[in-house]
Amino acid sequence: MPNDAIADARRAELCGLIDQVARGDRKALAAVYERTSAKVYGVCLRIARDREAADEILQDVYLKVWKRAARFDAGVASPITWLCAIARNTAIDWVRKHGAPALPPSGDAEEPGSDIGNAMEAMLADEGRALIFDCLETLAPNQQRAIRLAYFDGSTHTELAAIMQVPLGTMKSWIRRSLLQLRGCLEGE
Amino acid sequence: MNSDLTPEQAALAAEHALGVLEGEERAEAMRLSLSNPAFAARVAKWQGRLDPLSEGFDEVPPPNLWNAIEARLDDQPVDTNVRALRFWKTAAGLAGAVAASLAAIMVFNPFASPAPVAAPEQPAARPVIAQLAGADGTLLAANVNPQTGQLVIRAVALPKSDLTPELWVIPGDGVPRSLGLIARDDTTLVNLPEALRPLVIDGAMLAVSLENPQGAPHTAPSSTPIALGKISAI
Repeated sequence: MPNDAIADARRAELCGLIDQVARGDRKALAAVYERTSAKVYGVCLRIARDREAADEILQDVYLKVWKRAARFDAGVASPITWLCAIARNTAIDWVRKHGAPALPPSGDAEEPGSDIGNAMEAMLADEGRALIFDCLETLAPNQQRAIRLAYFDGSTHTELAAIMQVPLGTMKSWIRRSLLQLRGCLEGE
Repeated sequence: MNSDLTPEQAALAAEHALGVLEGEERAEAMRLSLSNPAFAARVAKWQGRLDPLSEGFDEVPPPNLWNAIEARLDDQPVDTNVRALRFWKTAAGLAGAVAASLAAIMVFNPFASPAPVAAPEQPAARPVIAQLAGADGTLLAANVNPQTGQLVIRAVALPKSDLTPELWVIPGDGVPRSLGLIARDDTTLVNLPEALRPLVIDGAMLAVSLENPQGAPHTAPSSTPIALGKISAI
C-alpha cells in the first residue's frame, strides 16, 4: 500500500537522522526538529496549556533528544512515538514543578474524543490503528474519559476528580481499574 | 519480576507512567524509579503500553525555536559522550567474551568477609553484585548494598602497573562516572556519592581503568578499561 510505503520511508528517514544525531550531527538534529516539532509542540502545548511554557519545554525536548539519541532503539518504538514520550514526560515534569495551569473547561467532553478521531485518521494514513485505542473503547465511558484526560492533558488525580466532579477516592479507583483493564485487553487476557 | 513489587507499588508504577500522580505519591514513584530497578522496569513497560496513544496528539505549528536550541547545544558535549559510549561499548563486548571464557572458574564466593550485610529490617532492596573481567585473567568482584549506599570491591587479579585502579560506573547513557580509586590487591569499601547511587543499579556497567592517582576521581577514564562487568541483582 502506498500509504504504508510512505510511512515506512518517513520512519526509516527519521531513524537514520536520529542515528546521525547520536554521532553529534547538529544538522541532523535540525532536520529532526523540522520534521517533528509540530507534533512535539502539540504535545507540549496540550499539557502545559501555556505558550510560553510550551516554548521552553519544546527546547528542553530537543536538548534531551541531542543527549539521548544514542539510546533510541528503533526496535522498541517508532521515532515519533519516542519523541512524543520524551515530550509528554518533560511537559508533565514541568507542570508538576511549576504548578498546575488553569484547568481545561469542565464538561467539555468533545475535546478528547475528537482527538481520538484525528488520531485514527492519522494512524490509518500512517501505521495502522494501535491496539490501545480499541482497548480504550472497551472501558466504561467515564473511565475512558478519565484516561484520555490523564494521557492527553496530563491531568492529575485531583484535577480529574474536579473536572469529572467525583470524589478523589472514586477517581483513583477508576484509574486503577481502567489501567488493569487496559493491560488485560492489550495482553489479550 | 512480578514478585519484586508489592501490589501497591505495581499500581503506583502504572499510575506514574500515566502521569496522574502528584505530591507525595509522585515523589515516592520518583524515588522508587531510581532505587528499585524492578519498579523502573515496570514504569517503562507501562509507558510502552501507553505510548502508542501519542498518535492522538494534534500537530500545532511551533514558533521557530531552532536557533535557540542550537545555541544551547554547546552545553551538551554529545561528541565526547557518544565517542565514550562507543568506545566503552566496544570494550564491553570484548569483556563479555572474556567473561564468558572465565565463567568456569568464577565459582568462588566473591564476598567472604567484609561485604556489608543488608539490614534485616529493610528487606526491599536486594544487594547487587558484579564480576569485572578483562584480558589476561584480570578479575574483580563487587557487591553493592543499596540500603547503605556502599560498594565493596575486591581485586582478585590485576595486571602489574605503576598506575592505580579507578572504578567507574557506566549507566544507560554510556558516560563513565568515577567512583574513585581502589586498592590493587585488597578489598576496598566505596561510599557511593549520593548523586551517583541511582546509577549503580541492576543493568549498569562497572569498569576499572588504570589511572594516575593524581587528580582522582577523574572526569573521564584516560585509557581502555582493564576490566568490565554488568551489575545484576542477586
